[in-house]
Amino acid sequence: MNQTNFVHESYAQRIWRRFRAEPFARNGLWTILVLFAVAALAPFLANSHAIIRVADGRVTFPIFPSLEPIEWRFLLYVPLAGLAWLFRRRLFARPLGGATFLLALVILIEVWLVFHHVVNDPTNDRDRPAAFKLMPLVPFSPVETASEPFLPPSWTHPCGTDSTGRDIAARMLHGARTSLSIGFVAQSIALSIGVTLGSLAGYYRSWPDIAICRLIEIMDCFPPLLLILVAVSLFESQNNMFYIMAVIGLTTWTGMARLVRGEFLRLSGLPFTLAAQAIGAGDLRVIVRHILPNALGPILVAGTFGVASTILLESSLSFLGFGMQAPTPSWGDILGESRLYIDFAWWLAFFPGLAILITIMSYNFVGEGLRDAVDPRLRIK
Amino acid sequence: MTTYLIRRILLLVPTLLGITLLTFLLVREAPGNIALMKGAGGENGSRAMTAEQREAMIKLYGLDKDPFTAYAEWIGRLTRLDLGDSWVDHRSVVAKIGERIGLTASLAGSALLISYLVAIPLGVIAAIKRGQVTDRAISFTVFVLYSIPSFAAALLLILLVAGGDYLNLLPMYGTNSINASEMGRFEWLWDRIQHMILPVICLTYGSLSYISRYARVSMLEALAQDFIRTARAKGLPERLVILHHALRNALIPIITIFALELPVLISGAVIIEEIFSLPGMGQLMFASLEARDNPTIMGITVFVSILTLLGYLLADILYVVVDPRIRYE
Repeated sequence: MNQTNFVHESYAQRIWRRFRAEPFARNGLWTILVLFAVAALAPFLANSHAIIRVADGRVTFPIFPSLEPIEWRFLLYVPLAGLAWLFRRRLFARPLGGATFLLALVILIEVWLVFHHVVNDPTNDRDRPAAFKLMPLVPFSPVETASEPFLPPSWTHPCGTDSTGRDIAARMLHGARTSLSIGFVAQSIALSIGVTLGSLAGYYRSWPDIAICRLIEIMDCFPPLLLILVAVSLFESQNNMFYIMAVIGLTTWTGMARLVRGEFLRLSGLPFTLAAQAIGAGDLRVIVRHILPNALGPILVAGTFGVASTILLESSLSFLGFGMQAPTPSWGDILGESRLYIDFAWWLAFFPGLAILITIMSYNFVGEGLRDAVDPRLRIK
Repeated sequence: MTTYLIRRILLLVPTLLGITLLTFLLVREAPGNIALMKGAGGENGSRAMTAEQREAMIKLYGLDKDPFTAYAEWIGRLTRLDLGDSWVDHRSVVAKIGERIGLTASLAGSALLISYLVAIPLGVIAAIKRGQVTDRAISFTVFVLYSIPSFAAALLLILLVAGGDYLNLLPMYGTNSINASEMGRFEWLWDRIQHMILPVICLTYGSLSYISRYARVSMLEALAQDFIRTARAKGLPERLVILHHALRNALIPIITIFALELPVLISGAVIIEEIFSLPGMGQLMFASLEARDNPTIMGITVFVSILTLLGYLLADILYVVVDPRIRYE
């Protein structure tokens, strides 16, 4: 009778439909997208240089020469990822062609960044006269000590200033970049290691399983923060963003490996796997094309929760002073600096704390929504 | 069961070896060492060590040996339960840990106890009132609590209730007031409790929210069982059905996760001790990391990992104790 019952719906479409039905999960996803947009556009939201400046009959864009490579990366890669997603059908009609095209673009950008020269101009456009100027929303850069220290929130400084007179709002906007990218990249590292080792253990069983399980147990017996603290504090001289990402990624993959191993143990005994093996598919093909896609749902869920806990971990590290070195701002840093002045400067702790809370909560909501969408049996109304 | 237990305990050995080897190499091979830290000079006008003095010190601490030989020696001493002496103050590592473990254990222990005492009723109420306003309110609150970083909560709590510009109800830092030595026994205890309230709250709410979410799901599963319907059908009062039939079965998974909360609580205690200036294991860890006090770092690692491993083992044993259907062969 009802034709719509028979409309084909793919696994991904089904998950997406169930996911969208959950208001908390949907809003969480929107919040994360907005946060990423803020992170990508941070230099345009908070900068001491004008976006457009008209003076002496010349139109200039003072903001662009001052952009650091990482800011260019955010600025170029986030829209690129968005466009690639929009045109994914056309782009990946030939998977190899699409991948080559994207890789070529990335290489082009990276090569350009290598030769790109950053102009470090300490002057600001706030006080410089001009016929017309369009300043960013927050007309301060995150590193300049332009104002009085410890100004409470006001119209000029919406989140106040810190002990050296830096604008907290500017530092928070730029800090979003650190926190979000560390969460994302570190969790991707953890995900790759976890999926690789987990699938090897679950697929081959016997001795690879024993060895990998022992490794997981070893890693798990360190309290989460301890191993990272040891690694980070001992190699303090190398505390750049990528080092922190790598350390967090290399120490938090065990949960993912456990999960993938379990899924592989379950799936590798099912008829479709046997069928694939029977028609002569190689191990790699069975793992990547047959079993992995069936385990993708739980992996995605665990990955989302993982990003939340990674962001928490990074902010704890920065808070304790073991994170990235100043002046790279991060929410945890601002919180850590606020410790000494906590008895009067509430804004130093409140705003970064709120930002971390909102980010982690959004990721947790998305994870929760995804989990319910992937496995409706778990849904508890 | 006995065979299983013996095998599990024997398997602890290679795991412990792996953990200690990893930490040992990491700590040893990292740039910088105790001789550089001590010999840098500068503090109170002391001069830097000469190169020969530094060499002698490196030799004294055995840092010139090949790392695997050094590890083997360290393991040899460990089998005689000798963790060595600290390189900083030359006191035995066991004694150093011993004088600090009490504080950390009481922090983590009371946090664990309080989280269970609060989380189980919360979870049970949410499960009984499933889908109603009470359930939604509890679930949402717990979810928000779960997402607040403990250090941010600690800072805001200090700001709000401990001697900031607002309320001044509780002390800010430390384990006791300055005049603690002059206090009577009960006065001292009250003073200590006041100092511990904020750290325990900060340590508690995270596991509290985790356990109560877990308790709610577990209770919902128990309530969906057939024997609950039977109990209701034979006319038992609802209170009995929930407390005797459902809760008892729901408690099984809740109790066993306590062992898994242990490492999380220890990690949490590291941060909380740092914020509230409490002289516990966390502070010792920080201090020895900063000073490159390798024996102490290793001592803490061994101690904490044995505790964690025993926790996991205990969780597995508890499964059997509380649920006779599970058997290990």
